[in-house]
Amino acid sequence: MFGLIKRWKALEAKGIMGINRRNADYVLKYNQRHLYPIVDDKIITKERAIQAGIHVPELYGIISTEKEIEKFDEIIAGRSDFVIKPAQGAGGDGILVIADKFEGRYKTVSGKIVSQEDIEHQLSSILTGLYSLGGHRDRALIEYRVTPDPIFKSISYEGVPDIRIIVLMGYPVMAMLRLPTRQSNGKANLHQGAIGVGVDLATGLTLRGTWLNNKITKHPDTTNAVDGVQLPNWDGFMKLAAGCYELCGLGYIGVDMVLDEEKGPLILELNARPGLNIQIANDCGLTHRAHAVEARIAELAKNDVKESAEDRVRFSQQLFGHVKPAEI
Amino acid sequence: MRSLTLHLKVLITLLVTVGILVTAYQIFILGIPVTEDETDDLWNIDAKVEFQASGREPVKVQMFVPPLNQDYVSLNESFISNNYGVSIKRADGNRKVTWSARRASGNQTLYYRLVLTKRYSGEQPKATGPIYRDSIAVEGAEKIAAEALLAPIRQHSADVETFISETIKRVNNSADDNVKLLLGGDASTPNKAKVIELLLSIAHVPMERVHTIRLAADIQQTPELWLRSFNGENWLYFNPDSGEQGLPQDRLVWWTGDDQLVGIEGGKKALVSFTLNNSEMNAIRLAKLTDENTDVDFLEYSLYGLPLQTQQTYQIMIMIPIGVLVILILRNLGGLQTLGTFTPVLIALAFRETQLGFGIMLFTVITALGLSLRSYLEHLKLQMLPRLSVVLTFVVVLIAVISLFSHKLGLERGLSVALFPMVILTMTIERLSITWEERGASHAFKVAVGTLFAATLAHLLMTVPELTYFIFTFPAVLLIMVGFMLAMGRYRGYRLTELFRFKAFLKD
Repeated sequence: MFGLIKRWKALEAKGIMGINRRNADYVLKYNQRHLYPIVDDKIITKERAIQAGIHVPELYGIISTEKEIEKFDEIIAGRSDFVIKPAQGAGGDGILVIADKFEGRYKTVSGKIVSQEDIEHQLSSILTGLYSLGGHRDRALIEYRVTPDPIFKSISYEGVPDIRIIVLMGYPVMAMLRLPTRQSNGKANLHQGAIGVGVDLATGLTLRGTWLNNKITKHPDTTNAVDGVQLPNWDGFMKLAAGCYELCGLGYIGVDMVLDEEKGPLILELNARPGLNIQIANDCGLTHRAHAVEARIAELAKNDVKESAEDRVRFSQQLFGHVKPAEI
Repeated sequence: MRSLTLHLKVLITLLVTVGILVTAYQIFILGIPVTEDETDDLWNIDAKVEFQASGREPVKVQMFVPPLNQDYVSLNESFISNNYGVSIKRADGNRKVTWSARRASGNQTLYYRLVLTKRYSGEQPKATGPIYRDSIAVEGAEKIAAEALLAPIRQHSADVETFISETIKRVNNSADDNVKLLLGGDASTPNKAKVIELLLSIAHVPMERVHTIRLAADIQQTPELWLRSFNGENWLYFNPDSGEQGLPQDRLVWWTGDDQLVGIEGGKKALVSFTLNNSEMNAIRLAKLTDENTDVDFLEYSLYGLPLQTQQTYQIMIMIPIGVLVILILRNLGGLQTLGTFTPVLIALAFRETQLGFGIMLFTVITALGLSLRSYLEHLKLQMLPRLSVVLTFVVVLIAVISLFSHKLGLERGLSVALFPMVILTMTIERLSITWEERGASHAFKVAVGTLFAATLAHLLMTVPELTYFIFTFPAVLLIMVGFMLAMGRYRGYRLTELFRFKAFLKD
């Protein structure tokens, strides 16, 4: 009991944010409910992003009724790789990544052969709302398959690693690289067993990581060190993330991005309730950083100044950057 | 909690204050018992009137009965008398019952029965009484004796109150020659009262006789004489034998004035005897009874004013917030994961009908079977809706089978699976299978165990009879709970599980 109180105090001193605080002080305060559809529906997010000139994986087509499943062949016409996603899916569920066509059948990234029928069943499941929050009817989108930059080869197992940046009122506060593992089945979701690796905001150098709520330094599948890797085009990621505030209007979001071999940084999706494991990955609490941003906003509001995305990125990089990869 | 805004603080303070005030008012002012087991004294008083009817003329028996404007509330009053007509009339603050019969002969017995209790009496009417009276005329030796007595009384008293008690003390001093003269050798209480009245009347202090019955079980008693005088605001009561002031708690005023308890025409040897016994009664039932018998209808606007059947439903319903509170605490403070927000409360309610042990077993078995069927159906590549429909139908069949088997085995418990738990079970399976699809089996299992745990805890709390009674009787407590819930709405501290989840931070 006494130990727990001490632990509580220690966590608070480190500025570790708990779910209650995240909900009360950030999600509820900065995210207006009527804006949620923008981030909850990947199609709307994509449309908005395209309008704002933000890079997203190209959309091949949308299937919104059972009848439209027939149009599937037309949508993928000639393409041998693509991704099928539920528009309102959460946590990477219901996503089917096709890497190749093979004698009239399809091959997923993990090498599994699926038939046309399987794909149609998957589409129909998405439409009935199997993967959507609360079981609402959903739409399926078919989009460009991201080819991860080769930089990730050594520290990732299958799948596509993605980069999440928490953005508070347009200011990037913390970043994390999510690396799929064998356990996560090539998915980049921490609760499914992916690794989260902290990223220095100023330099884009990776820090140590977290796996299943523990700190790690090596990828469990490739045994390569996950820290000290320089992410290419880091400022591009930062600017992309900062710009998402204007895109959706939500004040506290997690921006998920990928680095495509050819197209560079792309926005995958936005999350209105980003998880808290990013703190373990960075070995740093969110609360202090969030307070710093809030203080900055208050100061700017007093002087009636508005900062551009570039300014905000610069501010964040100056304040939160240059964290040295910890020695073990 | 420092993070509460003023608005919220005011709201919470308001709710909690109102909740506490209303509850305190119910407990301390209305005297509603705090626990159901609380009992109250209930007095059963029988007055038996015996007399010999002459047989030649009509019989008319008049007897005083308690005026019932005191601290006591009568629950029931009955006049047991064969062939006699009964009428009651009020006069001078007294009540008098008249039994009458055209023809009666031989030994006659009439009964008057009164059931009363002390609690829940309503507001007393403002007392009034005379504050002046003319002197009773006395002559000769008596006059001198009275004046000789009054002189030191006047000297030793400051006001009416002390004057009366001083007078009573003097009259009880049998060594005093003046007193001896006035009493004329009869030192009985009524005679003393007469002398006291005489002395007081000379000083123009009015005095009234009060005949009381002692609320004590199983003792022989006759009405006890007390004196009272009005001081302008209240009646002051005096014991004529000791001068002691104030009517003891256990005295019930039967009648006031100089008249005899019973008067009879057409008969003789009227004798009244009293039998008292007390019993205890469940306080809230008593409250309900008194409520019917008095105009203090404080229970009228409580939940007890509802029809009995509805009351039973509300007794269950009003406990739902307690269950919700448990879930709130477990989730927001503990960090327990449950299936949906209020599914555990519904399961807790279902446990009411199945009993806890059997309920948990049923829940586990049926959910496990339902989920395994679901995972089998997975291979058939069905759409979600048809697949869920199959699962739900299967659950119904399963429950029917369990009911049938347990009935055949003589376990009547199995039949308790009513419609309500079944709906909740099917709902749970549906939600759980969606969780399974979305989050995987281990998460689904974790959530299911969490739900079962939360439901069990909620059920245990929701079925504490004392708690049920308390909240049903004092629903304002819910306002206090809402205050707490509002405060919880801004709780920003860690959840218990987070202390373990973030343990890695402190491992350096």
